[in-house]
Amino acid sequence: MKTSLGVHGKSRLSSVTTAVATLSIAGLVLSGCSSAGGATTSSTGSQTDSGGKITVWVDAPRVPAADAFKTAHPEIPINIVQIDSTVGATTTQQRFAQFDAAKKGWPDAIFFPSNDDVAWASKTGYTANMSTDTPDLVAGYTKTALASCYIDGAYRCLRNDAAPDVLWYNAALFKQWGYTVPKTWAEYTSLAVTIAKDHPGYISGFTGDAYAPNRYLWASDCPTNVSVNPTTVQINLQDPKCTRAESMLSTLTAAKALSTDGIFDADAAKVGQKLVMSPGAVWWGDYLFQQTWKLPAKTMQASPTGLSWDGTTAQMGDEGGGLWGMSSHITGKELANAETFMKFVVSDPAWQVKLSTGLPAFTAMQQPWLTKQASNDFYYDTAATLATFAPAINTVPNDYSYLLYDTGGEWTSTVAKDLAGGKDFATAWTDFGTDLVAKAKAAGYTVVTTK
Amino acid sequence: MTTATTTEALVSGRRAPASVHRRRRPHKEAWGAWTLMLPYLVLLLVGGLVPIVYALYTSVQKSPTLLEPNKTGFGGLAAYVKVISDFRFAQSFKDIFSVLVIWLPIMIVAIVGLALLVHASPGRFGSIMRFIYYIPGALGGVANLMLWVYLLNPSQSPIAGVLHGLGFTTIKQVVATPGDLAVILAAMLLLQGLGQWVVTVNGGLNSLPDDVLEAASLDGANAWQLAWHVKLPMIRQWIGYAALLNLAYGFQLFLEPYLLNQVAAGALPSEYAPTQLGYWFAFVGSDFPAAAAMSIIIVIITLAIGLVVVFRSGLFSVEEI
Repeated sequence: MKTSLGVHGKSRLSSVTTAVATLSIAGLVLSGCSSAGGATTSSTGSQTDSGGKITVWVDAPRVPAADAFKTAHPEIPINIVQIDSTVGATTTQQRFAQFDAAKKGWPDAIFFPSNDDVAWASKTGYTANMSTDTPDLVAGYTKTALASCYIDGAYRCLRNDAAPDVLWYNAALFKQWGYTVPKTWAEYTSLAVTIAKDHPGYISGFTGDAYAPNRYLWASDCPTNVSVNPTTVQINLQDPKCTRAESMLSTLTAAKALSTDGIFDADAAKVGQKLVMSPGAVWWGDYLFQQTWKLPAKTMQASPTGLSWDGTTAQMGDEGGGLWGMSSHITGKELANAETFMKFVVSDPAWQVKLSTGLPAFTAMQQPWLTKQASNDFYYDTAATLATFAPAINTVPNDYSYLLYDTGGEWTSTVAKDLAGGKDFATAWTDFGTDLVAKAKAAGYTVVTTK
Repeated sequence: MTTATTTEALVSGRRAPASVHRRRRPHKEAWGAWTLMLPYLVLLLVGGLVPIVYALYTSVQKSPTLLEPNKTGFGGLAAYVKVISDFRFAQSFKDIFSVLVIWLPIMIVAIVGLALLVHASPGRFGSIMRFIYYIPGALGGVANLMLWVYLLNPSQSPIAGVLHGLGFTTIKQVVATPGDLAVILAAMLLLQGLGQWVVTVNGGLNSLPDDVLEAASLDGANAWQLAWHVKLPMIRQWIGYAALLNLAYGFQLFLEPYLLNQVAAGALPSEYAPTQLGYWFAFVGSDFPAAAAMSIIIVIITLAIGLVVVFRSGLFSVEEI
C-alpha cells in the first residue's frame, strides 16, 4: 500500500466533501426554478394603476390587432409584447406562475395562445369579470358564441372570433371525380375511404394537431371536457358518443384516409394540396387555404349542411376561436385604457373587419366581415361558402369547457405520436384515454364517468 | 511486466516528496486552500446551497393545486408522496436512463479513444484533429438543436436519403417512432459534448510526465501498449471526472426534449425527462412544493450515482495525484 489507512480515510472524507460540492451544482437549475415559488393564491390582492400605460400580450397572428389599436388610439401609451403562439405551449403559463408568486408583472390584456389557458387564468384570479367590467361588450355576443368564456358563473374573457367547423371540400375535384357531398359522418367516412382507395395520396382530414380532438370528438359530443362542478369533470371515452367517433377514426386511419400531420406542421402545406375534404374551422378558409397553404382559388368550398350523426341535425366541432383576457389586478386609468383596448379588439372594424382572418364572434361585426370576404372571390362558390359560416356556430355542442388539462396536448402526445410512429388507432385511443384521465387527476380534478 | 513495474516505481518515486511536503506544513496549506476555494464557495452558496435549502424548505410545505390554491403551511412529506405516486414519475426516470445508457458509455469510450489518438499523433496533425473534434461542441444549446432539426427533417436534411430509406417522410415520424427519441437525444448530447471533453482529457494526457512515457518506450512498449498500459491507468481520474460531470449534465436534460417536442408539433411526451416533470409541477400544476420535491429527488439520485463514480474512479483521492 502506498498510503496509510489514516490518510486514506481522510482523503475519502475530503472526496465526499468535494463531490457533494460539485454535485450540488446539479440541483442548481431545478431548485432555481423552485426558488421562484411559494404557493399561488386566487385572491386578486391590491389593484394597481400605472397612470395610463398598458401592456398587452399577443401571439403572432394578433400583433396586427395591437398595432391597429396603437394607430387608432395614439393617446394611450401601450407596450406590445409578442408571446409564443404555439397551441399547447406552457411558456405563458410559466410566466404567469411567476407573476402570481411575485404578485406583480401581469399584462393588462392578453390573447391566450391556447383556449385552455383561460382555465388556469381564471382559477388563479387573473382574469377580470367581464360581466361586471364590460357588460355592454358581453351583450354584443350571442350566448353560444361566448359560451367558452362562461366559467364558474361569470364571463371571464371575450372572444376574438367564432371558430365552428364546417365541412370543407374541394369542389373542383368533387366535380371532376363525380362525388356527392356527404351529409352525415357515416357518409363522410365511407367517401373518405373510397377516395383513399381510388386516389392514393389524397386525404380527407388531419389527425396530427391539437385541434384534431375538437374536430372529431367535440363534434361527436364525446365527454372529454365536461365540467360537472368547479372541481369535478366528466371524462368517459366508453360513452357511445365517444365510441362512434373512435370507430370512425379507426376506419379512416386504417384506410390511410387521414394525414398523420397536423394542420400547423411545416409539412402540412404540401399535404394540404392533396386535401379533398375535411371538417375544419371557418378560419381554415382564409388563414390555412388562402394565406398559408396557398391553394388555388376557385377550388375549396364549405358544405351548407355540415355533417350529422343522426341524419337530421348537423353537429360539428369548434377549433379555437381565440380568447382575450383582461387583468383583474388593475384599476383607475390603467383599467379604463385596458377596457378601451378590449373594446377595440373585439368590436372595432379596424381589426375585426379589415384585418382578422376569422369570423368575428361579436355579432355586429359578422356581416361587415362577410361582406369584405365576399369581395375577395377565393372560394368555388364564395357566396354559398360564406353563408355557411355564421349558422355553423349553432351546430357546435355547447357542454364543452376549457379545463386545467390540455386535451389537445394529450392528443398530440398520444394519438398523433402513435399514429406518426406507425401504431394502430386502437393503441393510440387507449393511450389517449389513460393519459387524459391521469392528467385531469394530476390537475386536481375529481373525474367521473357520468354526470 | 517490466514496463509496469518500472513505471510504477517512477510514479511513486515522484509522488513521495509531495506527500511529505504536504504533511509538514498543514496549517499554511489549509489557509491557502481556503483562499483558493473562497470564490467558489460564495458561488456555491448563492447558486447551489441556498436554492437547495430553499427547495428543501419548499418541498415540505403543503402541496396546492390550481383547484386548491390556498393550501399552505407545513405538509410533511406530502409533496414527495404526490411526486413519487405521480403517473409520470417512474416513466420519466426510465426515459432519462434509457438516454444515459446509450449515451454515457459511447461518450466515455469516444472521449478516451479520441483523446489517446490525438495524443499519440505527433505535431500538427494531432492539433488539427483536436480542433476538428472540438468544432461540433462549439455549437452549444439552441444552435445544436437547430442543427439537429435540420439534420432530422426528411425534407431538408443532407442525409434525407437515409431517412427516406428508413421510411420517414416527416420530422414528426422521425422523432415519434418508438425508441427513436432516446437515440436522437444521445446523439445530440454526444455531438455537443464530445469535442470539449477530448480537449480536456487531452490536457490531462499532456500533463503526464515525459520521463514515464520515455521509460515505457525504452522498455519496448509500442504506441498501443503505451496508450493501454501506461497512459490509460494514469488518466483514470480524468475519465472519472468526465463521467461524473457528463452524468450530472445528462441527468438534467431539459432543453433538448422540450424543444424537440415543439418541433414535432407536440407529438412527444411533454414530461419526458424528470426535469420536465418538475417544470410541469411548478408551472402547469402551480405546485411549487411538488416541483421542489422533484428537484430534491433528482439531486439525491445524481449525488448517489456521482459518489459511486467518484469512489470507483478514485477521483479526488489525494494519494493518486
